[in-house]
Amino acid sequence: MSAASPPPAPPRGALERHHFLLRRLHSLTGIVPIGVFLVAHLVTNSSLIWGKAGLRGAHPELGWLDGGIAYFAEEVRWINTQVPHLLLVEIVLWVSIAFHAGLGVLYARSGRNNVARYAYGGNRRYAAQRLTGYVAIAFIFYHVATLRWGWTFLVPGGTHWSAEFAGSTLAAAIKGGQAGWTLMGVGVALLYFVGVSATVFHFANGLWTAAITWGLTISTGAQRRWGYACLAMGAALMLAGWSSLAGALMMDPASAARVEAMVGAPAGPGARQADAPTHVAP
Amino acid sequence: MAYAPPPSVPRRGAATPDRGVVFRIRRCDGPGKPSYWQEFEVAVPRNANVISCLQQIAANPVTAGGARTTPVVWDAGCLEEVCGACTMVINGRVRQSCSCLIDECAPREGDVVTLEPMGKFPVVRDLWVDRSRLFHGLARVRAWVPIDGTYDLGSGPREGPATQAERYVLSTCMSCGCCLEACPQFNLEPDEGRWETAFIGAHAISQARLFNEHPTGSQIKGERLDALMGPGGVSDCGNAQNCVKVCPKGIPLTESIAAVGRSVILHAIARFFRG
Amino acid sequence: MSQHRVIVVGGGLAGLAAAARVAEAGLPVDLFSVVPVKRSHSVCAQGGINACNDVARQQGYSEYEHFDETIYGGDFLADQHPVLEMTNTAPRIIDLLDRMGVPFNRTHEGYRDLRLFGGSLFKRTHFAGATTGQQLIYALDEQVRRCESEGKVAKYEFWEFLRPVVREGRCVGIVAQDMRTMQVRAFRADAVVMATGGCGMVFGKSTNSVICTGAAAARCYRDGVWYANPEMIQVHPTAIPGADKLRLMSESARGEGGRVWVPRRPLDERAPRDIPESERFYFLEEKYPAYGNIVPRDIATREIFDICVNQGLGVNGGNQVYLDLTHKDPEVLSRKLGGILEIYEKFVGDDPRSTPMKIFPAVHYSMGGLWTQFTRGSYAPATPLPKHRSASPPPIDARPGQGMLPGAPNNMMTNVPGLYAFGEVNYAYHGANRLGANALLSCIFDGLFCGASVVNFIRNDAPAGNPAADLPPAEFDAGEKRERERMNALLGTVADGRPDEPATNPYAIGKELGDEMTAACTVVRTGPRLEQCLRRLGELGERFARVKLADAAAWSNQSFAYARAIGDMLVLAQAIARGALERRESRGAHYRTDFPDRDDATFMKATVARCDARGVTSVALDPIDASLIQPTARTYGKKDDRKDPGKAAPAAARA
Ligand SMILES: Cc1cc2nc3c(=O)[nH]c(=O)nc-3n(C[C@H](O)[C@H](O)[C@H](O)COP(=O)(O)OP(=O)(O)OC[C@H]3O[C@@H](n4cnc5c(N)ncnc54)[C@H](O)[C@@H]3O)c2cc1C
Ligand code: SF4
Ligand code: SF4
Ligand code: FES
Repeated sequence: MSAASPPPAPPRGALERHHFLLRRLHSLTGIVPIGVFLVAHLVTNSSLIWGKAGLRGAHPELGWLDGGIAYFAEEVRWINTQVPHLLLVEIVLWVSIAFHAGLGVLYARSGRNNVARYAYGGNRRYAAQRLTGYVAIAFIFYHVATLRWGWTFLVPGGTHWSAEFAGSTLAAAIKGGQAGWTLMGVGVALLYFVGVSATVFHFANGLWTAAITWGLTISTGAQRRWGYACLAMGAALMLAGWSSLAGALMMDPASAARVEAMVGAPAGPGARQADAPTHVAP
Repeated sequence: MAYAPPPSVPRRGAATPDRGVVFRIRRCDGPGKPSYWQEFEVAVPRNANVISCLQQIAANPVTAGGARTTPVVWDAGCLEEVCGACTMVINGRVRQSCSCLIDECAPREGDVVTLEPMGKFPVVRDLWVDRSRLFHGLARVRAWVPIDGTYDLGSGPREGPATQAERYVLSTCMSCGCCLEACPQFNLEPDEGRWETAFIGAHAISQARLFNEHPTGSQIKGERLDALMGPGGVSDCGNAQNCVKVCPKGIPLTESIAAVGRSVILHAIARFFRG
Repeated sequence: MSQHRVIVVGGGLAGLAAAARVAEAGLPVDLFSVVPVKRSHSVCAQGGINACNDVARQQGYSEYEHFDETIYGGDFLADQHPVLEMTNTAPRIIDLLDRMGVPFNRTHEGYRDLRLFGGSLFKRTHFAGATTGQQLIYALDEQVRRCESEGKVAKYEFWEFLRPVVREGRCVGIVAQDMRTMQVRAFRADAVVMATGGCGMVFGKSTNSVICTGAAAARCYRDGVWYANPEMIQVHPTAIPGADKLRLMSESARGEGGRVWVPRRPLDERAPRDIPESERFYFLEEKYPAYGNIVPRDIATREIFDICVNQGLGVNGGNQVYLDLTHKDPEVLSRKLGGILEIYEKFVGDDPRSTPMKIFPAVHYSMGGLWTQFTRGSYAPATPLPKHRSASPPPIDARPGQGMLPGAPNNMMTNVPGLYAFGEVNYAYHGANRLGANALLSCIFDGLFCGASVVNFIRNDAPAGNPAADLPPAEFDAGEKRERERMNALLGTVADGRPDEPATNPYAIGKELGDEMTAACTVVRTGPRLEQCLRRLGELGERFARVKLADAAAWSNQSFAYARAIGDMLVLAQAIARGALERRESRGAHYRTDFPDRDDATFMKATVARCDARGVTSVALDPIDASLIQPTARTYGKKDDRKDPGKAAPAAARA
């Protein structure tokens, strides 16, 4: 009968009271700090592939891949020793991810997918954004828990990641053991491939929609151009992610550990080397 | 002197006259009743649209199986895609049934045309849905120019042709609801009590932009943005951009969403500092 | 004291303008409409809205000339004072719409752009693309939504008006039905405004929306409200033939330079662009050098009809002529006519920017309608003046109150006190032929100007001491009961037979009604054919008495609503045919081959149809107010009258 607007209902929970702030924080945290970290993380990790060039002539004895391992080891070491309050930074990051993920799930559940009916590019990306969000949550949780929090019971081969032996322990954790590929390892590698790809897509596409959400790209042309920019950025990041993974998969953990020891910490390669293979499969 | 009814203008590439086309229609006798499918075979003349076939079914409600049934109920008005009344889901896609020519939605012999009511609004009966929520959305964003009254107070603000062109496009929104039907973030909400906080949809966001851009309309821009900052406002949009794809009037809805996104941020910042 | 209320039936331009004006004056409004008001038929209007403006004024145009054109265009049948007030108010209405945010097209400097329209040599038509009506109704809809959110207006959408409730000669409410729940209910009001638009559906296919049945007007008529000039039905010259509707191709296509032509050679098979200029017959331009393609509608329609039906020159021998815009810049066309060109493209499949459109006349507008009154304003020349010449000083300025007395309670009130008729549903402004882009004006003018009359009627007249809310329930209950019985009787027909019998199928009856009315009561009429038509209507009425529905549902029963409306349309059709039969002359849209001349002595009067208690129509001729302008021959400077199909010829010869 009548469509007169009833008085606005009093806002209910905190979620509704701070609706706008939460929405914007959700969008913001995806870019800073999560996105920024993601870029740094993938660029660093991909040095497994391009790190030889980063060495700028140091360690001429190392081949291309070994050079990457060495460079990567130095990078990680630098981060672990030079970044102040690293734990605090990490906690901020974890909290951001948890916040972004939690709200993300809540928001994603408010939508109803209809790609089957409206198979437009934009709609596919919308659906993919939600799907990759879920995948990324699962993957990042696994990734952080196993490699950072030391939940080694989730790692085939039980490898304990170590910042001193960043490349080799990573390789061992993914491939399933110090000795190289195991069946479980193949599974983990696949998980990494899917997880990294999903995360990168989620970030690049999120960057594209964020520009609309924040009203930076208004005209259709601007949205399209920014779309291409995000596509390029995503492609580059995807390449970085895949090369990190490829770098890890191509390396032999044991020989990598030797390279890492060579360029290793002042504590002395011997002591570390003894450390390194501690976590072999029982 | 006799007045012969005018012949239809032949359409390029038209199908042969009067071919049989099967309509598969999702029916429902009323709210809370189960829906069911019925098929009708209609002799379709050249250049016919979906509405003219529904008219035939209404005049002779017999299913393809020869069973007598009740006439199918649907909504229509202008028959020239300007009132928005006849919106329904045709072959899985939402659009106006008056501008949907059979040669287009069932080009080949033996093609079936599927008709369903819009899914995001409560069904009244058959293909007729209750779209009051759409108009409620317009009230929610105060989609009007707050003039002093309808008495003579001189002319309105001057405006350049470029601004006019921009406003005109936005102003052609006929409240058909296609953008809502296709939006993955806009869901069926029969409970009127929740309309204030459920996602408002692209059409109303675009209308808010239209009135924010008008010199007098902008006087209550703050109220509109407040409404759009809250639950169900512009930030609930997930940028699927289906809305702009299905809008029959070619309204740049995603541009409106971005523009309102920007206004809302600036408004929030201003509000933060002003208190 | 109980609060007064006003009911407005119809949410088109007229109804919305009235609701806004009345609500603003502080009276609560109940607004009824069979469709959500934003979807009313007014959205279809394409071309524009007329008003004198500064540019035209500096070329010698004036509000007075607009008035003069409207009377001349209407072939001297309209009451002149109301028209004067309307044209004088027009510029102020445009200003108001502008303030409401209507995106009127703009010039480079930011002023409102103007276009040429039928019946005038001055650009005086304001427009918003080619969807002016849509833009105007949206602006009013928005204002009414604002009133609604402030609690001043309550909307009853999907409610159908069934009858006025009249008590002791005064209208005190209505009976209406919710078309979803089928609830029949009486509503009280101290004044009721009918703004229910036209009746195109009586003719089956027309340029009107499917809701324009005229049933609401017919129900008032049946209950004792007079209906004037029913025979004055405008057939628009340019429409796109279609299976379900004859979609309008607006006059603005010609206003923007569109040219109407046919190949000189009958049955010329060549594609239009292959026909050289010398072999094209621009018949309107040749016959009417001054106005060319923008002669008024009745004339253009008869010429096109004559070319196709009498001379057999229609394109491909059919009932169609070319309307050609291909010589215009496609970009300009898109900007100014986008909306209508898209309609053609969408429904026909050709792009009018590159291929001439094929068009034919179609029923479009009802000049006639519910009979209404008015109080004259202050302008009273000693004798009616001769036809106004452009660039000569107008005899009066445009101050309000010279045509109609503002706020007089009887302005646009029907013969039943308290019952008003605004917009297309009344007969007040357009005489025997409406000029293009004058309808939107008259609708909004009614709502605003006469809305004030409604308020004054309530405050100062019968309802003042005796509000409808305090009346005993008898008439309201009786009205409800009668309508419920009528509904149950119709719904009851389902049980007693198979409804597929064409003789008793409502849709079959409706279609035959439309075909018959189109054949007998449109472009050309003759006495014998009209008599035959009346007999046919009688037969259809008898068949309707035995009508059988296919649906007995007591929920959202559309075919029931349709059938009920057919019954009322039959009543209206009778009035139309009877009016046409009684008017034994030709005037404006009404052209009788057996009486081809205009006969001012006998027929410069309104035909007023009255329906008695038994449903029998009688028609009387009532004098009109022609005190301002003397009638002259209406020739539009026609040159060649040998081939003239219309009644203008003898008049031209005399002139
Ligand atoms: C295609 C087309 C183009 C036109 N172009 C122009 C133009 O360019 N310029 C111009 O000046 N004029 C134009 N006209 C004419 C003009 O559009 C109409 O005359 C005008 O819109 C009528 O407005 P209205 O308010 O009187 O009625 P409408 O807009 O027809 O509204 C009638 C209202 O009454 C309601 N109603 C009807 N019956 C009932 C009932 N039984 N119970 C309850 N409610 C009911 C309807 O729901 C609706 O809300 C055009 C007309 C057509 C058909
Ligand atoms: S862009 Fe926003 S409003 Fe449009 S369809 Fe997507 S989610 Fe819905
Ligand atoms: S924005 Fe487009 S799709 Fe949405 S209601 Fe308006 S016209 Fe329809
Ligand atoms: S009937 Fe008006 S849009 Fe289809």
